[in-house]
Amino acid sequence: MDEVLDEVVPTEDLKKYEKVYHEQLSSGNITQKAQFEYAWCLVRSKYSGDIRKGLILLEELFHTDKEESKRDYLYYLAIGNARIKEYNKALQYVRGFLQIEPGNHQVHDLEVVIKRRMEKEGLVGVALTGGIVLGIAGVVGLALALAKKK
Amino acid sequence: MSVGPYNYSYIFKYIIIGDMGVGKSCLLHQFTEKKFMSDCPHTIGVEFGTRIIEVSGQKIKLQIWDTAGQERFRAVTRSYYRGAAGALMVYDITRRSTYNHLSSWLTDTRNLTNPSTVIFLIGNKCDLNAARDVTYEEAKQFADENGLMFVEASAKSGENVEEAFLETAKKIYQSIQDGRLDLNAAESGVQHKPSQPGGRNTLVNDQTASKDSCSC
Repeated sequence: MDEVLDEVVPTEDLKKYEKVYHEQLSSGNITQKAQFEYAWCLVRSKYSGDIRKGLILLEELFHTDKEESKRDYLYYLAIGNARIKEYNKALQYVRGFLQIEPGNHQVHDLEVVIKRRMEKEGLVGVALTGGIVLGIAGVVGLALALAKKK
Repeated sequence: MSVGPYNYSYIFKYIIIGDMGVGKSCLLHQFTEKKFMSDCPHTIGVEFGTRIIEVSGQKIKLQIWDTAGQERFRAVTRSYYRGAAGALMVYDITRRSTYNHLSSWLTDTRNLTNPSTVIFLIGNKCDLNAARDVTYEEAKQFADENGLMFVEASAKSGENVEEAFLETAKKIYQSIQDGRLDLNAAESGVQHKPSQPGGRNTLVNDQTASKDSCSC
């Protein structure tokens, strides 16, 4: 599952589907197919700006497309948010999905990976704060020691 | 021996393709987990699975991209074909339409992979023989005419599942040995890990050796 979250779209693919989308945009008639294909490429980009753009397109599709397609949008909304480290949002989409399809292993696997990443990156945060606390304690300790000497 | 993350000599990239509902994800699950997934929803986009196997005494890591069969994913999933060393093309022996679409899947595979890519045709659901809609003989003939390897398999019973994945790897490995597959080509779908069996130890030894010589 980590591989699915980390793989990056080939640039030529992103450009290809971007072109189709923009052609339709200028002609004023965007098909859901073109929008989805472009959005799917965007959320697999290495740039967070692209991913955010993809998320907007997916949200729009989620609200306008038919019921049976919604699972695909929820899934990629979760993937995109996880890729830009918006883990809480990603988990909200995961939970939304699992309400519709509680037994879906693909989405369960995604949930596990997101939680593991949160934990891992959360711990890094704690360790950093811990380091600062230790640093402060050190300074305080030194100050106390100096005060005692006096 | 420690089982470290680099305890293999090669990485082979595989793709699994074919119509919706033929059992691609179930075949992958049976191969990686040795279990049958009875309630398998339609895959969204792509799934990924991995397993380390052994061919001719070499450990090989298979990285398997399992693509969604739904038509709406067809265009974008084509980007996963690039650089595949093996392609498992699956149809359902109880649904003729999935067999009839094989030529279109084959065209995509030929166009998007390289000539050395090994294509293995799998007729899945052979446990449902009573509902058979495609004979073994005609599928075998199709495979022969197109130079594909072929088995009928069952993700449910596990029959021939190992074989399909392993035979594909053997064929790829053979191509490497014969020099037909260029490891340096960007899209060969094969990565060679510098650490041969015992390679990690050799590396460590080398370091110690150079350290020793330095201190002399």
